[in-house]
Amino acid sequence: MFRPLMTTLAAASTLILPALAQSRTLSMSTALKDYGGDGAYLAVYLTDASGAYAGTLWVAGGKAKYYKHLADWNRLSAGDARRLDGVTGASVGAGRTLKVTADLADALLDAGYEIRIDAAVENMRDSPSEIRVPLTAADAGKPHTGRQYIQSFTYQLQ
Amino acid sequence: MTWRLVHRWLGLVAGGVAMVLGVTGAILAWNPVRDTWQAAPTPADLPVSVLVERVSAAIPAVEEIRRLPAGELVVYSFDAGEARAQVVDPADGRVLRDYRPSPVSRWVKNLHRSFLLGDAGRLAAAGFALAMLLLSVAGLMLLVRRLGGWHRLLAPVRGSLVQRIHVVTGRVVLVVLCLSSLTALYMSAATFGLIPTEADDEPDVVSAAGRQADLPGGQLPLLQGLRVQDLRKLSFPAGADPEDTWTVATAHGQGWIDRRSGQTLAWQDAAVVQHIYDWIMLLHTGQGVWAWALVLGVAGASIPLFWGSGLILWWQARHRTPRIVDNSALPQADVLIFVASENGTTWGFAQALHAAFVRNGHRVHSSGLEHFRAGAAARQIFVLAATYGDGQAPAHAALALARIARQPVTAAPVTVLGFGDRQFPAFCAYAEAVDQALRTEGWARLLPLEGIHQQSAQQFARWGEALAQALGEHLVLDYRPRVPPSTALKLVSRQDYPGSAGEPTTILRFVWPARGWKDRLAGRGLPRFVAGDLLGVLPPGSSVPRYYSLASGYRDGFVEICVRKQPGGVCSGHLHGLKAGEYIQAFIQANPGFALDGARRPVMLIGAGTGVAPLAGFIRGNVRRTPMHLYYGTRDPALDFYFGPEFQGWLGERRLASLHTAFSRTPDGGGYVQDTLRRDAARLRELISQGAIVRVCGSRPMAQGVTQVLDGILGAIDLSVQQLKARGRYAEDIF
Repeated sequence: MFRPLMTTLAAASTLILPALAQSRTLSMSTALKDYGGDGAYLAVYLTDASGAYAGTLWVAGGKAKYYKHLADWNRLSAGDARRLDGVTGASVGAGRTLKVTADLADALLDAGYEIRIDAAVENMRDSPSEIRVPLTAADAGKPHTGRQYIQSFTYQLQ
Repeated sequence: MTWRLVHRWLGLVAGGVAMVLGVTGAILAWNPVRDTWQAAPTPADLPVSVLVERVSAAIPAVEEIRRLPAGELVVYSFDAGEARAQVVDPADGRVLRDYRPSPVSRWVKNLHRSFLLGDAGRLAAAGFALAMLLLSVAGLMLLVRRLGGWHRLLAPVRGSLVQRIHVVTGRVVLVVLCLSSLTALYMSAATFGLIPTEADDEPDVVSAAGRQADLPGGQLPLLQGLRVQDLRKLSFPAGADPEDTWTVATAHGQGWIDRRSGQTLAWQDAAVVQHIYDWIMLLHTGQGVWAWALVLGVAGASIPLFWGSGLILWWQARHRTPRIVDNSALPQADVLIFVASENGTTWGFAQALHAAFVRNGHRVHSSGLEHFRAGAAARQIFVLAATYGDGQAPAHAALALARIARQPVTAAPVTVLGFGDRQFPAFCAYAEAVDQALRTEGWARLLPLEGIHQQSAQQFARWGEALAQALGEHLVLDYRPRVPPSTALKLVSRQDYPGSAGEPTTILRFVWPARGWKDRLAGRGLPRFVAGDLLGVLPPGSSVPRYYSLASGYRDGFVEICVRKQPGGVCSGHLHGLKAGEYIQAFIQANPGFALDGARRPVMLIGAGTGVAPLAGFIRGNVRRTPMHLYYGTRDPALDFYFGPEFQGWLGERRLASLHTAFSRTPDGGGYVQDTLRRDAARLRELISQGAIVRVCGSRPMAQGVTQVLDGILGAIDLSVQQLKARGRYAEDIF
């Protein structure tokens, strides 16, 4: 499958970018509510204007057997064999904040793309597409609240 | 062989952490019990579709329904920007309360499975589960060996209180602990993805596009056919996603339903791996099966008891193993001492023997029996062998017999001294086996095999005298048993009997000083005791106690013993010289194999001479009026009919059901105590077949005579004294 024009964690970027000069850094901050449960599994990913999967930005939580609880991301990204390459970390505890960055091609900005986050916690209900935020210059810096686990999600462009 | 080592070291190293796992496990096991208690009952065969109707009517914007293992129904919804979780009553869909899992339970659970340390902690916990499994298996093997084989696994346990606590709790919970450790390992492997727990692939289905409205959950055929008691999870289709489906999971499988047509898009039966995992979860957590959860809780809570008693046993055994000073190398030694001892007690005797030879200028070498070998310089060889349980070799000497058979025979004689306990059917059986093996090989011996009962210092000293005589050298065995702290007891009264053959006898009654609560806490002063326990008396100027069977219990408020004056006896002479108001130094030694356990079964008491004392104690303490029958032989009612008037009184109070006496020195006295048994044979058989227990106290020849007669009587009902002993129903106190 064609892997779209972006990659993650500036330092770990491995993906094809047409021109590095035309990219910028996307910094995302995801603060979790104190939901009273074990560490949350989160999948942060991009969808394009048609709602199709466009790439994974970050997956918090290391055990693949639980990924089916991140239902939307798991379904949409099923065809992407490299969806986990260089973008995984530990699960995020209740009340904690996850901060990650990714390199982003300029072409993706204001082009109908969305940042989505699926969340799941052991023995609590799954929360697919808990966050859906358009990837636009105007939305940068605005906090968004999730339905279940996410207190606020904000992204910055540099 | 090495089970004991495995058990000891794993217990010491991993036991403390295993205790954390056990206690947290016991706390967690309470959850299924409490949840089952709290859960509103699910009506039998209630269709899931009806539940969906009821819940949808009561709660707007339902997203998911979960049925927890204990039967609670949790409904997740998202309404007006707020995510909610509520517990509903399945009978009417009514909201009972908000669902809030306890943070304490979650904390305890994380402590239990990962020590709050994430994946590293999970790995460690799995390691300790493996240690627990090995510890339990080793414990089981030791238990089987101690009791004398798998078929005796349910036989009564004898030994000290701590030993019995350790062994009895072991017998009860070992199997559960094995199971808990095994299931824990399986769950760890599943968590780390080494074992699959569900089918990998789920069908890729979506609701067909269309313009018609969603079908209500109550009209879905699949949900109409599923019962709420089998439900695990039902996810409603998300409002925003036109392709989303209903998803339902039960114990049997998972189904997907089109949101508009209501058609079942796919059904997937639960994979075998999932059924296995469900069972493993159930066995480990007890979720949904509160009675099993209780069993698990008790097993978990028993681990501290196990660990504590195990530590005490280890500590005791460690302190019983003395260090041998002046141990010469084997090739140079002219005296060799080989020891087989399960718990280290026999080493104390070896040490005394070793020291006595060293004092006489010998070069002495002592070591374990597994090292048996005769050096060129060896002139005398001794084997001190303890018997464990039903006649097995102590663990470290398991291969000693084979080794003895391989060694070249030399001219040095090998003398065997056995240690054991007559309460066990196979008294000194291992020492006999060693002696037999040596003679078969052709080794000479200096003294015939002797068996020391209950680490008797006197018997050991007598053997030492025989040894000195045989060797022709002066040899003093200075064995000092560890004497427990003694208490001063005051003589309050005595009853003198002229006795026969010029051996006066007296029944002495003492009282103990009052104990404050501080003394009780510190364990000072006289501990609680029961009739049949032993009173260790320290005569002035001696550190070697003499033991007398107690004819009273703590509840009687006094200590009573029956003492016959031995010609030249230091202790009996001292006791016979006591006047009321004078004191002795004494302590209590428990005699658990002999004392009655309080079971309400008929009791047959057989005693002769002063041996009647503990039996009188049993009858005196028989406040529950258990049927007790006393067979009592003595010489002459005028000279030595101890406790005679008391027995008459106790018969009247029904503490004693029947009294059968024999007086051997009076015409028509009825002969010996064995004769009273023969005369009452028919009833004896009846009592024994009713489950009666037997206690015999007296001299060794008397006890042997009783065994012979009883074997004759019980043969008619296919029983023997040996069998009764093996079942813990027959015990002797022999002096």
